[in-house]
Amino acid sequence: MPPLDIETVKERAGPREFGPGDDMPEEYRKAATRMIQFHANSEIMGAYIERPFIRQAPSLERKLAVSAQVQDEIGHGQLLYRAAENLGVKTREQMLDELASGEGKFLNCFHYPLSHWYELPMIMFFVDGAAMRRQATLKRTSWEPYAHAIDKICFEEGFHIKHGEDILREIASGSNHDRELLQEAFERWWPRILQFFGPTNDQSVHGGFAMDVGLKTMTNDDLRTAFLNAYLPKAEKYGLEIPDTPHVEYDSEADRYEVAEEDLDWDEFGEVARNEYPTGAEQIARRRRRQEAVEWVREAILDDSPGVGTTSAAAD
Amino acid sequence: MRWEVFRQEKKKDYHVHVGDVHAPNAELAKQYAQVMHARRKPANSLWVVPKDAIETVEADDHDVAMGGLTQREYRWATNYNTGEMAAEIEESEAEQVEAERERKKAAGQGGGDD
Repeated sequence: MPPLDIETVKERAGPREFGPGDDMPEEYRKAATRMIQFHANSEIMGAYIERPFIRQAPSLERKLAVSAQVQDEIGHGQLLYRAAENLGVKTREQMLDELASGEGKFLNCFHYPLSHWYELPMIMFFVDGAAMRRQATLKRTSWEPYAHAIDKICFEEGFHIKHGEDILREIASGSNHDRELLQEAFERWWPRILQFFGPTNDQSVHGGFAMDVGLKTMTNDDLRTAFLNAYLPKAEKYGLEIPDTPHVEYDSEADRYEVAEEDLDWDEFGEVARNEYPTGAEQIARRRRRQEAVEWVREAILDDSPGVGTTSAAAD
Repeated sequence: MRWEVFRQEKKKDYHVHVGDVHAPNAELAKQYAQVMHARRKPANSLWVVPKDAIETVEADDHDVAMGGLTQREYRWATNYNTGEMAAEIEESEAEQVEAERERKKAAGQGGGDD
């Protein structure tokens, strides 16, 4: 039986419409692989950003919660590699190798390391909040294994964002000094957060096809507006001042926020996206060293001698 | 030989375990599964799996921790009171509340206010 042709795919495209039982055209499988691999890589790299804060967290409760969060993110990465793997384009090993070699792409915000606890809510609340906005729309993606992974991811992600908001609230209700550092962190991160959803639709390379075949269900522009509608009032609630540039303005007629794209540094974004930004390259190298360091664990798991790699301890 | 049967009611639903059949081979197992588990109830698809092929993890095995046997409140959205949230966060929290109700029920503490 020949694979489904692309026109049929576009006609049938809908929530959870296609799965491993369908013979999908190569164009679809490649697009879905690109999207899910990007998502999986981002989960892993996000976990590496948050990991140092298991140690730096100011209380035992926070340590436990950050460590649970990091565990969740790594788990999400694994689920997603699985969902990408059954498209038959790349194996999990290939995707992990690509991440280690600096070929695999991931979210712009995870190319910048965090140096201080005050910066943590920028990732745990705003970036994860933006990610959750996007992920909620992917419950309706057309590749069923991806949607199934998203079910579990969304189940857990609510805790991450609320925990992030709890940290944000704690810092925001601290001393003047706390609030100053928080505001500084916010100003540093705000442009990157605005770039999270990528360039506008007319600049987006892959968006159109992904929408046509139901992999994506909402455009970058609409997602960014939806994010701002929900999260700008939150920033204001915690006393954060929205910087003048990049300029963000509420259009009361359209009931949405407009962002001045020209205020954003798209050259830096491009450098980040190509894995060429210095701090991003460092993050990738760190991840590669960790992957090499635990190579023996993967070998032990693949070795099917009895008793090896069958306990949860072996997966640590 | 025993085969476990998983029924999917509608396309896109998860397959849910509905029972088992005894059959000497896969062909007959599929037929029996249809008769026993898909004749009266609507079904879009059945999975029929040899019992031996199923690995299990039991909650009361020592060194196994599942479903909130330990105090891990910090892991749940419900532990953080942050006021009004974005719709998708509300939804995630609602799923967690439901899971907590089910955990309590499974632990024999009753289902809350029902």
